[in-house]
Amino acid sequence: MIKKILIVDDSPISVKIIKSCIPKDKDYELFDAVDGQMGVEKYKEIRPDLTFLDLTMPVMNGFEALEEILKFDQRAIVIILTADIQIKAVAKAHDLGAFSVVKKPPAKESIAAAIKEADDALAERG
Amino acid sequence: MLKNDNINEIITTAETDLLQEIMNIAFGRAASDLAEYIDIFVILSVPQIKLLQAFDLPTYIKQELRDHDRVSVVEQNFWGKFKGNAFLVFPSGTGKRIISLFDGENKFFESEPTHELEKETFLEVGNILIGACIGKIAELLGDVTTYSPPRVVVENSLRGIVYDNLSEPDNMAIVLRTVFEFNEKNISGYMFIFTKQESFAWLKSALHKFLEQYES
Repeated sequence: MIKKILIVDDSPISVKIIKSCIPKDKDYELFDAVDGQMGVEKYKEIRPDLTFLDLTMPVMNGFEALEEILKFDQRAIVIILTADIQIKAVAKAHDLGAFSVVKKPPAKESIAAAIKEADDALAERG
Repeated sequence: MLKNDNINEIITTAETDLLQEIMNIAFGRAASDLAEYIDIFVILSVPQIKLLQAFDLPTYIKQELRDHDRVSVVEQNFWGKFKGNAFLVFPSGTGKRIISLFDGENKFFESEPTHELEKETFLEVGNILIGACIGKIAELLGDVTTYSPPRVVVENSLRGIVYDNLSEPDNMAIVLRTVFEFNEKNISGYMFIFTKQESFAWLKSALHKFLEQYES
């Protein structure tokens, strides 16, 4: 069951928007980080159940951060939340091991559906 | 020189941040449209937003492109509540490589009459990137825009990129800038969007309306 959610995005307004899309009735613990490198560090520190990860970020981009997170934790559930909706970008994210890809700007419905899918996957793993 | 207090009166930090995110989404859409058309992968970067006095625009452009003596430029004006000028700028020598994006060939001979072909190719790429980017910004902010036909200048000096009617000295301009690379061809480029002062009031209001959908 998902309890901790990490949001990795360099845009403070984007983090705010994503937080506003996350259902309030489940009392998730929300954490955030401002670039890929900070995201990887935060991931190691808090071990979230689910991570929303942007791709276009300074310092370390989302592809690199995804690789680092999965190197640290093969079972990490990382949802790419990005404006980069090129077919090759989406394919690369999947190839690297992203759980799913959601395009920006997010809608409350798409975020809720992505969280539910991740929750179901976690339940299946047991 | 603009003081921080004055800048914040015109556009706040939060509004700048949201505009940056909207540019990020819009250019992502534009890159996706182009990538579907010519099977490339566009490497995106974090956009920058700047508020400038209009007479500083030529200096700003020169500074941004200081590593390039000559450039090729596609320019398009757009009108709506969101109104301004968009420039797609490629460094010198990009033309032949950009043609190869369309025909798959990498070999060119000096004698080939490629100037017109380069012009047409820049026009096509510019039309897709500028149209999709401006269109998406307008869509996200609840506007509809119309466009001038694109103007293409191949391999020219930096002088005259921002010409006089943009530089009304008393006016302010918001600059949206992003840098991109076409991965397979080692081609980099810049997109600049200048919004005129007459759009500012609408823009601020539209940004706030955009955020309202997330408030509940």
